[in-house]
Amino acid sequence: MTMKQWNFKLLTLFLLMLAGPLAAQQAEAPSEPTEADTLQTPFMYRYDRRLERYRRNFNSLIPQTHVMQLYGDMGLVSIGVGWDYGKREQWETNLLLGFIPKYNSDKMRLSFTLKQNYTPWSFSVSDAVSIEPLMTGMYLNTVFGHQFWTHEPDRYPKGYYGFSTRVRIHLFVGQSVTLAIPPEKRFIAKAVSAFYELSTCDLYVVSAFTNRYLKPRDYLRLSFGLRFKIL
Amino acid sequence: MTIKTVTDTLLILVIICLTTACDMLESHPYDTRVTGETNINEKNIQRIESLLKGRKSFRFAVISDTQRWYDSTLDAVRSIRARQDIDFVLHGGDQSDFGVTKEFLWMRDILNQLDVPYVCAIGNHDCLGTGRDVFRTVYGDTNFAFTAGDMRFICLNTNALEYDYSEPVPDFDFMTAQLDKMRQDSLTRCAFLMHAAPQSDVFNNNVAGVFQHYLHMFPGLQFCMHGHTHALTVTDIYNDGILYYQCPNIDKRIYLVFTINEEGYDYEAVEF
Repeated sequence: MTMKQWNFKLLTLFLLMLAGPLAAQQAEAPSEPTEADTLQTPFMYRYDRRLERYRRNFNSLIPQTHVMQLYGDMGLVSIGVGWDYGKREQWETNLLLGFIPKYNSDKMRLSFTLKQNYTPWSFSVSDAVSIEPLMTGMYLNTVFGHQFWTHEPDRYPKGYYGFSTRVRIHLFVGQSVTLAIPPEKRFIAKAVSAFYELSTCDLYVVSAFTNRYLKPRDYLRLSFGLRFKIL
Repeated sequence: MTIKTVTDTLLILVIICLTTACDMLESHPYDTRVTGETNINEKNIQRIESLLKGRKSFRFAVISDTQRWYDSTLDAVRSIRARQDIDFVLHGGDQSDFGVTKEFLWMRDILNQLDVPYVCAIGNHDCLGTGRDVFRTVYGDTNFAFTAGDMRFICLNTNALEYDYSEPVPDFDFMTAQLDKMRQDSLTRCAFLMHAAPQSDVFNNNVAGVFQHYLHMFPGLQFCMHGHTHALTVTDIYNDGILYYQCPNIDKRIYLVFTINEEGYDYEAVEF
């Protein structure tokens, strides 16, 4: 596959990441005038209907999943929420807050991640267990701290370093196992998935490209996580 | 694909991942988590000082700007090793390109394959993000000095643009202390190592002239060494007889060799 095709695919993926939650919302919109609505109209003011619609719209923004992820260049521990959508819920968008320990720097740092997952297949192993042999996607990570910049500060000549220390783009592939929890045993979620991912980021890719010295263990990153399906 | 093969491949993949996992588990590219050797400059300074004690002639190599050129740096290290006539190696800064933590560790592991001691000055790229914290951990202070034989080597942080007046760059107090140290130890000659030379874009050029004035106070100043603009140059920047030797970036596949003897020094640019 040529680089151009790749670029196009990445761009599509990124656009889908942005458009996903909106599309999900629009899909629900036509079913809005309900029978209940027409039965009760005599007793509802226009404002009540508006309010109901308002609540319903905001309800559709409630995240369906909770996610906890370890490592993966987004934090030692990252926690966040997700929205899944698509016919088979094969798309998911996550927002994650990551905690980076102090190690040898002056303080602990926070990072924020926008992550887009694509899970094309899910195979049932039993009534309760299913396996997702491939999860893939990309994430954008931003790290907080005055040392990091998105654009070079004015003190530098224009384009001096030509990259951002703050924003990283990551690509990943992974796999997961999902356990469905029977209704009577549910406590925090209706299903739990355990996953792992192999990822890399822009700076590691450009380092690996030009050096045979760097091996996959140098430029690939491993992460683990749990995904709780709430809704 | 049956379910059994799916679960088996999953299991095998997990096992492979776990065995090579440690390097691959990372909080963030800039997380400053350092594994392996630290405080290298101080350790290697002790080695240089004891190896060259009492000697009036010795030979050292200079490499610089090795950022993101791991293959070329490894070749340079092998070339220097093969010679067997080098006493120590100086690195002129910019080991990292992005200031990312792992870059310092990759470069350190290559430089550690040298069979002679080496010390590293800090470059402007090494300061990016949390890079300066990692540099401090792996190498130590950004201003340091040592005595090789009868000669003082003064290594300075000159990347003022990266420090924005948060600390003095160049540090004149440090230079004054070195002057006192030379008098105290009756040392009669010296050389300077810095990443960026005066008048370059990251130097604090408000004090470039003052800096040069300071250099004139040092007894027996032989020459200055630097990197930064990725070219092989020898410049008398202020037309005052003080020569600045620039070591090009490692991808030019050149390192410098200085031979010090009682009469003075010889200099050579070596291709590898």
